[in-house]
Amino acid sequence: MTHQLKDGGQVLSVGMLARVEGEGGMHIEIKDREVVSVKLNIFEPPRFYEGFLRGRKYTEPPDITARICGICPVAYQSASTEAMETICGVTTTAEIQLMRRLLYCGEWIESHSLHIFMLHAPDFLGFESVLEMAKDHADVVNMALRLKKAGNDVMELVGGRAIHPVNVKVGGFYRMPTLTQLEALRPDLERGLEDALAAVQFVSTFEFPEMEQGYNYVSLRHPDWYPLERGAEIVATSGARFPVAEIGAHVQEFQVEHSNALHARFDGEPYVVGPLARYSLNFDQLGPRCQEAALRAGLGQTCRNPFKSIIVRTVELAYAFEEALRIVDLWADGHSPSVPVPPRAGQGVGASEAPRGTIWHRYTIDADGVIEDAQIVPPTSQNQASIEADLHLAAQQWVDLDDHTLTHRCEAAIRNYDPCISCATHFLDLRVKRS
Amino acid sequence: MIPEAMVVGLGSPDRGDDAVGTLVAERVRAMVREGVRVLTREDPTALVHAWAGCHTVVVVDAMISGVAVGTVAVRRAGTRDAALPTHAFAAAGRGGSHAFGLAGAVELSRALGTLPEHVAIVGIEAFNFNHGPMSPQVAASIDDAVAAVSAELARAGHPLQGSEAGTCVWEQSRG
Repeated sequence: MTHQLKDGGQVLSVGMLARVEGEGGMHIEIKDREVVSVKLNIFEPPRFYEGFLRGRKYTEPPDITARICGICPVAYQSASTEAMETICGVTTTAEIQLMRRLLYCGEWIESHSLHIFMLHAPDFLGFESVLEMAKDHADVVNMALRLKKAGNDVMELVGGRAIHPVNVKVGGFYRMPTLTQLEALRPDLERGLEDALAAVQFVSTFEFPEMEQGYNYVSLRHPDWYPLERGAEIVATSGARFPVAEIGAHVQEFQVEHSNALHARFDGEPYVVGPLARYSLNFDQLGPRCQEAALRAGLGQTCRNPFKSIIVRTVELAYAFEEALRIVDLWADGHSPSVPVPPRAGQGVGASEAPRGTIWHRYTIDADGVIEDAQIVPPTSQNQASIEADLHLAAQQWVDLDDHTLTHRCEAAIRNYDPCISCATHFLDLRVKRS
Repeated sequence: MIPEAMVVGLGSPDRGDDAVGTLVAERVRAMVREGVRVLTREDPTALVHAWAGCHTVVVVDAMISGVAVGTVAVRRAGTRDAALPTHAFAAAGRGGSHAFGLAGAVELSRALGTLPEHVAIVGIEAFNFNHGPMSPQVAASIDDAVAAVSAELARAGHPLQGSEAGTCVWEQSRG
């Protein structure tokens, strides 16, 4: 909807932007065909999780922080358990780590399949929503539902529930699934892997706007595997490389007037976390089939076009299936579900790769295990500045397009990041003002 | 094997009144006869394939429609019924983002050809979706909601054990 303003300017109002999680708005101001201001207004209220974690027991964050988000609860559980185990000087078993990784695969499958096919693909196929897309692309939507169900099944078996898992604790799990139960997942995981690999080629046929961004990509990295439930260090395309425990020295959070979510800088600069960063910094850790699918889809070993994040996300979807199958292959019954974690005073960091990017938690606890301080830094808040920069570039690049088309491009540019605003505050009303 | 009829309790057991769908479904589970399957789900997208091939489905969920809290109402959403409003999905807001709502799932199912002929949505008016216990008005409506499910199953020829087809009486509205 276009409004003429008294000062001769023009405001395009799109109501709430669909297909992102949470509530926010976007304001773009254009004068004389120059974009002069872009603001991502996140008005979802602050949720104060960090505040009410203080005074709680060190065993509670996996259950409490999982409630921050219904899409990526495992990311919160993984980061919080790792932080507490680090503080208490406890290393869990290889089997517990494997099961955490399998649970994380379930979350990636759930989240990526939903975003790729039901929220993001309509942008490229020219539909307002997946409801319209389903009429012409029933096979794609049916596949997406099957893939998502496979992820839900992993979450239910390993986590106890498909949303907000209840089987995770500091030190491991309350119970381990049996090999028989895991084997029952295999047919759907095998089919999911083949479907996801084929889908990489399918999404690569979409028409992508030309847009390259030179952001500093930041991701976890581990010497042995593509980063999901944890990493050994933080790496960046700027060349920065340091242990996860030092991330607080490199990331500065700060408030801006137009957002209820904190913004962040990495070594003083805006940065990007998420699939594009993970992929570009960890391509060598993907398996051969995923690497081959990515290269065949036209991706290089790095990807700088944010619109092509849908291809990268689909490669990661295939990887999650492949990894889940690998873990099922490795599993044997009889492993203890957890190790004891007696409290110890100290401060520690835990980090994992949520579907939409690196998340990290830092806690300080006392000798009785009471939380004295908590800091939770989710991916969407870290990406806000870069989302705004993409919108600035997109609006400037396509300033002569009609308002409807420009708005659509801008909405799609936001969805490139699969933003989770509930996490960041812990949606979007898009306004373009022309004068 | 595809059941002839299905009862689905939707909602999160942790989030106050949203637990009512699951609680009603669990009450019904103990009374259904052969041929009726009872499911509980938090994610409505699971229904699009789960109910494919069923003749009759009764979905129980908390709702917000502006009537008195605890009111039980039935809306039909099968293949012969009018489409549910999905503006909230298309125009986003809370119902249209990652949180794929029941109306979105019904209409997606209709588009994909998996929607059962008879779908009845038993809605219980609610207001508290915060973490914690259910509000007393909603808890007090569980008997009425079970009766509504019973009546819908009886209409489809699957009366609950202990009830006679066509004799189940329930209030369309309370409060």
